Amino acid sequence: MSATSPTPPLGTTLVRRVAELARRLHAAGGDAGPARVQTALLALDAVDLTQREDVYWALRCALVSHEREIAPFDAAFASVWQPPPVDEPTDEQQEALPAPSPGAGERDKQAAAGGLTGVEHDLLVPGQEGGEDSGEASEIGMTWSAAERLRKRDFATYGDAELRAARLLVERIARARPRRRSRRFEAARRGRDVDQRRTLRRALRTDGYPLERAWRRRRRVPRTLVFLVDVSGSMEPYARAVFMFLQAAVAAGRETEAYAFGTRLTCVTAELDARDPDRALRNAARAVPDWAGGTRIGDNLAAFNARSAASGLTRGAVVVIVSDGWERGGVELLDEEMARLRRRAHTVVWVNPLAGEPDYEPLAQGMATALPHVDRFLPGHNLEALEALAGALERLPS
Amino acid sequence: MELSVAEVTERLRERAYLVDRGLATVIGVALELGRPLLLEGEPGVGKTECAKALAATLDVRLIRLQCYEGIDVASALYDWNHARQMLYIRTLEATHAAELPVADVFGRDFLLRRPLLEAIEHDDPRPPVLLIDEIDRADDEFEAFLLELLSDFQATIPEIGTIRAQRPPVVVLTSNRTRDLHAALRRRCLYHWISYPSLEREVAIVQARLPEVPARLAHEVAQLVAALRELDLEKAPGIAETLDWVQALAALGEQRLAPELVDATLGSALKHRDDLERARARDIGELVAAARRAADER
Repeated sequence: MSATSPTPPLGTTLVRRVAELARRLHAAGGDAGPARVQTALLALDAVDLTQREDVYWALRCALVSHEREIAPFDAAFASVWQPPPVDEPTDEQQEALPAPSPGAGERDKQAAAGGLTGVEHDLLVPGQEGGEDSGEASEIGMTWSAAERLRKRDFATYGDAELRAARLLVERIARARPRRRSRRFEAARRGRDVDQRRTLRRALRTDGYPLERAWRRRRRVPRTLVFLVDVSGSMEPYARAVFMFLQAAVAAGRETEAYAFGTRLTCVTAELDARDPDRALRNAARAVPDWAGGTRIGDNLAAFNARSAASGLTRGAVVVIVSDGWERGGVELLDEEMARLRRRAHTVVWVNPLAGEPDYEPLAQGMATALPHVDRFLPGHNLEALEALAGALERLPS
Repeated sequence: MELSVAEVTERLRERAYLVDRGLATVIGVALELGRPLLLEGEPGVGKTECAKALAATLDVRLIRLQCYEGIDVASALYDWNHARQMLYIRTLEATHAAELPVADVFGRDFLLRRPLLEAIEHDDPRPPVLLIDEIDRADDEFEAFLLELLSDFQATIPEIGTIRAQRPPVVVLTSNRTRDLHAALRRRCLYHWISYPSLEREVAIVQARLPEVPARLAHEVAQLVAALRELDLEKAPGIAETLDWVQALAALGEQRLAPELVDATLGSALKHRDDLERARARDIGELVAAARRAADER
């Protein structure tokens, strides 16, 4: 169809302009490849080119495919489509267009080339470049007692070697997923629900007598899992281990979202979802603007709730908050927002590394406020505690 | 009566109360290019209405596929009429027909045609409008299946063969963004984001839909709804809520807004307890007074 039809004979300057528009959109993180450019040209062919507004709409519906791309498109359109499209500009005018400023993506690349910041370095698990066969890095190379000691050791006391050794264990633990019943069916060996389609198929084998019934049941699929991780100063000793866990959890399953919060809320799912864990952690470190600062849990939850209300993210989801509950803002807001979150989510789990202390009491005011709204409260200060978290997630009712 | 794209665009524009200029232009482009159109926007901004208006304007059939979690080929494309198949086999048995013709049992007579098959295998002279509503509620697997169907408008039923659309339908997809759609599906479609209507357009919509309602009331409610949308709500009221609210107030015999009745009927516009609390915290009397003033100035 349209994909195979030739590009209409619009002026070459017009083609160049559309290409320039697509290039800028791409630089701003849009998804405007060559196929889209062709669609855009076909779209232009369908409207009156003397009407700037129509040109705008035709180009927008072809080059933009997400609401978040609309603002970059508007900016690019305004600068590329300066003169009214009635008289096509000459090539000189075309070249007189201001040189595009480097997009956000390019700046990131420059930053990446320019070495790591302190936090980025801190988050990385060093020595991993040596590969799996560096011996102690792999779980197999570890004696049982060493592994056992490691499991009980508080993350706050981990050095680089321990982090490296813990990685494989963490990755295995992080695969745990809460499940829910899907509306889709799957074939089952026995059950209560007859699969008509398969029963008829079998009946054909027995001359149309449905002797053997086939069954089906609801499939169980992963439930959405949302992590909200506190990256404020008081949580710093746990940040590396927690992020390692987070990265493994995001990489292990599609239905997982991760947010970091200190003074503000940042979604880090996209950053963490990479094959290479080191790179993922580096990306995440760069995405979070406020490492080791203060925290206002209530404000962050409010922001999160507002965002998820529109997208329905938390509906039926398991929300895991990792924080010591050290609230610098008012607790009234925290109380209100926790109640909201609980109403919408399937389960709210709070993981507090400080709760690993044998004599822990929820003395932090924020923690005491949040606790009544929490379904499960777990420590998560060492590998053993993370295993307990994984077990709790898997055992949640579907 | 075949309409040119320009005419369709023109006619849609004439129905200004439903479709604004941007959307009309985009629809024109979609018709011209034969591409599916993906409409996104907050719930209640009239995405579904747009498809209906398009079908009405083109004067063709509207085939609607409402998506839901777990929707599959059997409910979207085709299924076999199992009870009928079984009866047929037993009848053949009873009449001692020699061989069981399997091909018959899986023939078109036993096929239950679902919306997608209807849209592909229609015999209308002019192709219908296929509305795939709330695609974000379906899951990834269904999205992948749909992608295949939308790319060449053909579907394969193993027992029958490949069915190809003679005249591809006009496809409109809508999404409320409860889930982010796959980039491949987005790439296949033209895209349009529908925002809340301007005040004038909203008033026009109310008057077109509810001609018996006093114009003053329509103005004031539209003003008030616009003010409510400014609040930080879980679910801002859409056009449907505006219409409900106007209707509720008109049914109570109101000519103008009064704070007590607005408070009593606030549930027509706000459907969350949190939202109701938030609006009430903002002094309803003042909101109403502001809406009345703004309507007076017009």
